[in-house]
Amino acid sequence: MVAYTARRLIAAVPVLLAASLLCFVLIDIAGDPLADLRLADPPVPEETIEAAERHLYRDRSVVERYVLWTTGINGRGDIGLLQGRFGPSVRGPAFDIGEQIRDRFLVTLRLVVIALVMAIGLAVLTGVFSAMRQYSTVDYLLTFIGFLCLAMPTFWLAALIKEGGVWVNQQVGHHIFYTIGAASADTRAFTAWESFTDAAAHLFLPTMALMLTGYAQLSRYQRTSMLEVLDSDYIRLARAKGLRNGIVMRRHALRTALIPMVTLSALLVAGTIDGAILIERVFQWRGLGDFFVQAVSANDTYAVMGWLMLSGAIVVVANLVADLLYAVLDPRIRYE
Amino acid sequence: MSRTATLVALGMLVAGCATGGVEGPGEDVDGPGEGAASAEAPATEAAADEAASAGFGDCDEAPNTCNEGPRADGGSMTWVLNTRPGSWLAISPEGGSVYTLQALHGIYPHTGQWEPGGDEYRFNLDLLAAEPHLVSEDPFTFEFYLREDAVWSDGTPITADDFIVTWKMSTSEAEGHCVGCRPRSSVAADAAASVEGSADGRTVVITLKEGEADPEWIGWFSAHSIQGGIVPAHLAAEQGFDVDDPEQLGQYFEWLNETMPTFSGGPYILVEGDLENQIIKEPNPNWYGDDAATLDTLIMRIIDDEGSWLPALANREIHGGSPPQFNEDIVRQLQERTDVYTRVGPGPAWEHLSFNLDNPWFQDVELRRAIFTAIDTDDIAQRTVGGGFPDVQPRTNHIFSSTSPHHIDVVTPTGQGSGDVDAALAMLESAGYELDGDTLRRDGEQVGPFRLRSTSTTVRNTTMELVQATLARLGIAATIETTDDLGGMLGGGDYDIAQFGWSGSPFFANGANQFWHSESGSNFGGYANPEVDELATRAANAASLEDAAEYANQAAAIVADEAYVLPIMDSPVYLFVADEYVNVRDNPSSSLRGVYNNEEWGLAAQ
Repeated sequence: MVAYTARRLIAAVPVLLAASLLCFVLIDIAGDPLADLRLADPPVPEETIEAAERHLYRDRSVVERYVLWTTGINGRGDIGLLQGRFGPSVRGPAFDIGEQIRDRFLVTLRLVVIALVMAIGLAVLTGVFSAMRQYSTVDYLLTFIGFLCLAMPTFWLAALIKEGGVWVNQQVGHHIFYTIGAASADTRAFTAWESFTDAAAHLFLPTMALMLTGYAQLSRYQRTSMLEVLDSDYIRLARAKGLRNGIVMRRHALRTALIPMVTLSALLVAGTIDGAILIERVFQWRGLGDFFVQAVSANDTYAVMGWLMLSGAIVVVANLVADLLYAVLDPRIRYE
Repeated sequence: MSRTATLVALGMLVAGCATGGVEGPGEDVDGPGEGAASAEAPATEAAADEAASAGFGDCDEAPNTCNEGPRADGGSMTWVLNTRPGSWLAISPEGGSVYTLQALHGIYPHTGQWEPGGDEYRFNLDLLAAEPHLVSEDPFTFEFYLREDAVWSDGTPITADDFIVTWKMSTSEAEGHCVGCRPRSSVAADAAASVEGSADGRTVVITLKEGEADPEWIGWFSAHSIQGGIVPAHLAAEQGFDVDDPEQLGQYFEWLNETMPTFSGGPYILVEGDLENQIIKEPNPNWYGDDAATLDTLIMRIIDDEGSWLPALANREIHGGSPPQFNEDIVRQLQERTDVYTRVGPGPAWEHLSFNLDNPWFQDVELRRAIFTAIDTDDIAQRTVGGGFPDVQPRTNHIFSSTSPHHIDVVTPTGQGSGDVDAALAMLESAGYELDGDTLRRDGEQVGPFRLRSTSTTVRNTTMELVQATLARLGIAATIETTDDLGGMLGGGDYDIAQFGWSGSPFFANGANQFWHSESGSNFGGYANPEVDELATRAANAASLEDAAEYANQAAAIVADEAYVLPIMDSPVYLFVADEYVNVRDNPSSSLRGVYNNEEWGLAAQ
């Protein structure tokens, strides 16, 4: 399995490189990040524009910039992915893309991890329950909720949840939930406990929104998977041998039915990080999603590339983890 | 139930897990906001018994004083900025935005600003000992006089040295004052031969180069200047920079650009913040002015999703904002709230249609006139923004809004914008065009089709559709193409008819020069008229505002007659604020908008 993992990781390098080249060219031709500066009113001095061009290495060709961005050779020490430097930003010398990505990744991770854990937990519970009570009222109700969450646009679902949070606050007369940001604006006087509860109050609504979008998908998979297993011969055999229903469900049915869920969850991690863009936008979190939106808006080539590389790496790793988990969970699969 | 306990309970419900409840701090939702002072706090202003004009009901009649009222001591307020400031120094290209100026207003001392009505310029007599004085017209020399007790927050006096450093940072490298400074504009600063101090640094003497004049000299170092005020000189030495060394001045420029100012020469001082989330201001303990800020904290919070404002306002996470773009849906929802004051009015920017004269068809002035005559600007204004702003009026001068004392209607007499299609067709017929079925032709050749281009906003999309329909009535086919890169589109001349906006200001003298001078980089459509060039140059270099206005109006009249640009309307803007605050009002004469007087904001005294 180690050899397989190494092979997969090595194979991922050209994939990421090809993706980076394609993205770099697409971003580069999408627009001039200095266009507004060139047409500013009143006009910007020529040397200021030239300084901005030098800062962004736009005094060099696209090919040179790509090689520079990849290797950092002939740069000013602020660029070169292989050296761990993401390059200069349109937002000026003080904006460190690498630092921003690191900080924001942690913000997004906080949102995504909690939402995913909750989504998976809830999906397993409801999916199994729906399968065990197929065509019951509860099954229909959970199916309806699942499809509702699937059908609703994420931004709309998030907006409704936000309105619901405000309504709850107004009913109880306290700030239980907050609708913007990962924390209150002024936390200087907060104790550690107050900071914790403040963070939790800001976390709840966006987590709920992200969780429901993930839950809807997972619960349908879990229900289908469980139904297939319950209808299989070995389950009938287990029951025919007189095993108690709880043991059949827990030891034989659920373990098998969780296999697609585990692999799907690994892939969903990558998808959720990307999917957090809308949630972060609606709830004004300064995570990776917000970073991406800002970078695209500003034609900030190196910032967009940094985000894409991170996103691409996560997808590659998530795919690998999903494949490896297959082998762990299903003894019939072995990677030689 | 406490916030935490409710969170946990709801979490249990959702996640299906069980855990214990815990206690945590709760805050009133219906109160005056986060950390706001008690409504029973005593009024501290002598004017507490004066009649207050709560709300914006009288803003049309009294734009400079509406929503005025006595303030209570203390309280907190959170104001929305809908875009991030790019840096901490508004002179730099990345920091050069209204958002930086708004975020830092009250930190950098300035010499004055326009009042909301647009007809009164208020000198900052907290900083200035007297109104500035024009000493000489040749060479053009003027002086600012500083108060002796004007100091930075560390107690260092504000002197001419600060003005000199600010000026040098704003000049281009060719002037030799600074190497590495990256001013976003150096036009004004480069015109100065010297900025010097006298009277122990309490008088600032500015002398322009020979042959240069500036009718708007009162605006030097004002809140409307590219820095929005002046930067401190003495901090450079503390940071190890010699401001007399051009290279080290450039390094000081970058230091200011990258470093959150913890100094202040204004009524507020920044105590915490970043360029991504929020900036927290508190009253400057060394404020030397007459009226101090009463709010304990003023938070400028960055929320770039408009849809988030209303829930946040209802939740009292924010208390007000004055965004630059009009959004009818948001305005309607705000107007439905009874706990919020909302004001909609004409803003500083104005929308217009502009021909690209590189298109051979538009070399014919009669075709241009006919098209502009057929377009109904009043109809466009009503259909695009009339729902939220029924009082919207077509704009009738390129340089001056209708509230300006210099305004002259140069558009209506031409018949342009009237929507008179019959008159337009008659003009075309006289000029040799003929309507062949549904197609306009000249000498048998089809006129057009033309490309109508703008950025994709609700207002502009609707406008483009209306213009397209009007052109169809003249027999001219047109396609609508939106762009995400307005700068590239205009700069590359990639359009036939473009709709976009210009920012207006009571400082107008350079407007004609910028819009229509044949050598201006902002004259995107390639208009060239020596007479207009001459008038525009005269306006920019006039000795007085009256002279400048006369030249600008003459140029505008010529441009209107030649149907190069058709003003449509002043883009409406809106301001909203929770009703527990006073002295908050819009200032469409300033890019600072509502923030222009943020030191006067406060909780209403009971």
